[in-house]
Amino acid sequence: MIDDRFYQSTYVGTKNFSQIDIQTANATGFGAAADDYAERGIDLNEQLIMNKPATFFFRMNGDAMQEAGIYPGDILIVDRSIKIAAGKIVVASVNGDLVVRYFKQTMNKLWLEPANNRLGNISLDEFTEYRPWGIVTCVVHILDPALIAFNTPRKYKK
Amino acid sequence: MIAILDCNSFYCSCERVFRPDLAEKPVVVLSNNDGCIIARSDEAKAIGVGMAGPYFKAKPLIEEHGVTVFSSNYNLYGNMSWRVMETLRVMMGKENVEVYSVDECFINLAHIPKEKIYEVAFSLKEMVEMWTGIKVSVGVAPTKVLSKVANRLAKKNKAVTNCVLVLDSPRKIEQALQKTLVEDIWGIGGQYADKLKKVGVLTAFDLSKKDINWCRKNLGGVVGDRLIRELKGEKSKMMESPLTEKKIIATTRMFGSPVTDINSIKEAVATYTSRAAEKLRRQYCAAKTISVFVVPKEQNYNTHFRHGSSIGSHTKLLRATSLTNELIKPAVSLVEKLFEVGRSYKKAGVMLSDIVFDNSIQGDLFLPNNKNGGRLLMDMMDNINFSMRNDVLKFAASGTARNWKMQKNFHSPRYTTRWDELREVH
Repeated sequence: MIDDRFYQSTYVGTKNFSQIDIQTANATGFGAAADDYAERGIDLNEQLIMNKPATFFFRMNGDAMQEAGIYPGDILIVDRSIKIAAGKIVVASVNGDLVVRYFKQTMNKLWLEPANNRLGNISLDEFTEYRPWGIVTCVVHILDPALIAFNTPRKYKK
Repeated sequence: MIAILDCNSFYCSCERVFRPDLAEKPVVVLSNNDGCIIARSDEAKAIGVGMAGPYFKAKPLIEEHGVTVFSSNYNLYGNMSWRVMETLRVMMGKENVEVYSVDECFINLAHIPKEKIYEVAFSLKEMVEMWTGIKVSVGVAPTKVLSKVANRLAKKNKAVTNCVLVLDSPRKIEQALQKTLVEDIWGIGGQYADKLKKVGVLTAFDLSKKDINWCRKNLGGVVGDRLIRELKGEKSKMMESPLTEKKIIATTRMFGSPVTDINSIKEAVATYTSRAAEKLRRQYCAAKTISVFVVPKEQNYNTHFRHGSSIGSHTKLLRATSLTNELIKPAVSLVEKLFEVGRSYKKAGVMLSDIVFDNSIQGDLFLPNNKNGGRLLMDMMDNINFSMRNDVLKFAASGTARNWKMQKNFHSPRYTTRWDELREVH
């Protein structure tokens, strides 16, 4: 029984809701029609975080993954519980440094590939100290300057 | 069977999750106010850095070997602890996990068939490591005390055990007990250990051969009774449900440097009172007694790292309350009572007791009933303070300058709780 539970992910966060949490029109006049169709509403956590205890946030500081749509200052959502596979964007430690790259693999070779043609591949051989950290599942790119001022340290601004 | 899962040098491991460059390097974490060493990585232990020793004594050794030093970052450790426990709850089910401390928990494996125990214990370890990045050790045995014995041995011989040790046969239990000294048994303190050694009981094995009545007499009654039964493999400590409400809430801190003026102490005490009141409200309780204590600095230089005796006093309130403002007032007047001009102080603390649920507060005939309007205000304050920024809203009594604040010279970023302190990647 345990085996089929081991690889299940959960997000319990806001699923603990009851009828009371559902917003209704609270109209004094004619409101009941909409109340019959009331729903909980959209929750970003629920959609973007598959496994809460294994999910961490990182901040991109560099342009190595620019062509994959990850810009300096972006927030990365990283899930440690997903199995690494060729073609995924990963966070990995290379010689003690944390980098974001495509993970690539052929029959006898492993390497990390940037999404920026100014940079070269990092080949993962016996001379590199390499450890995968997690899989990047999502990138949050903030557009509105008001939000940037609240969320992002000034130094990332382009 | 019961398992205990214990994180390896937990605080150091938390720092290392976000610092892969420190993976096999010596790391230590200091206590509040950077006073003592409270966690060491295996590499730091190997160099000879002692546990719980004052930082300044180990400093030459630390500098010589380039040990990385961190101030304690409880925001990070608390969050990582939750992740470890949550991973276990997801895997084993909420009802089978008993959180014992920030880095240890008991797991009930009663429903796992015997031949699968090792496999399960090993996957628990692997899974926690994969999901959270924290390395752990697992000890499994028929009872809690024996699982602690197993865990200790698993940690001690990491290369052989791979951090997992299962004691599933009488022979294995016997061997493990023989390798454990009495002072290393869970629940045996220094005094009892000395007493046992005097009568020739040196190892856990020796103790397990003793008579139950003898232990009852010599090891503190029921406690000793339970302990010996557990050592003999008879379950007598059950899985416990979590403590939902605390009977006493205390907040105490060392000052960053000795404080001589009364206003700073008042500010500090007001701040600790707010913290304690928050904890009180978190468990939906109110307190009727508030005590304040201060610790003066010893004049003698030699006793620099020993605390002077603490001086304290308490006030009984007319009605139990959880409102910060109603608690700050008596706290501050207690400080006035305790403070002596000309002395310097190094520590202060606030303690709330006589705790009752806040829906069953006894009214007082002579006090106006405020219908919990204050509680609404407190909830709003807590909400604002709790969403990211500490103390955006506070009572003026807590002061603004905070010269007494703790020293945290080697603080790492709060990677998991603050947007502006996220770990950078490139």
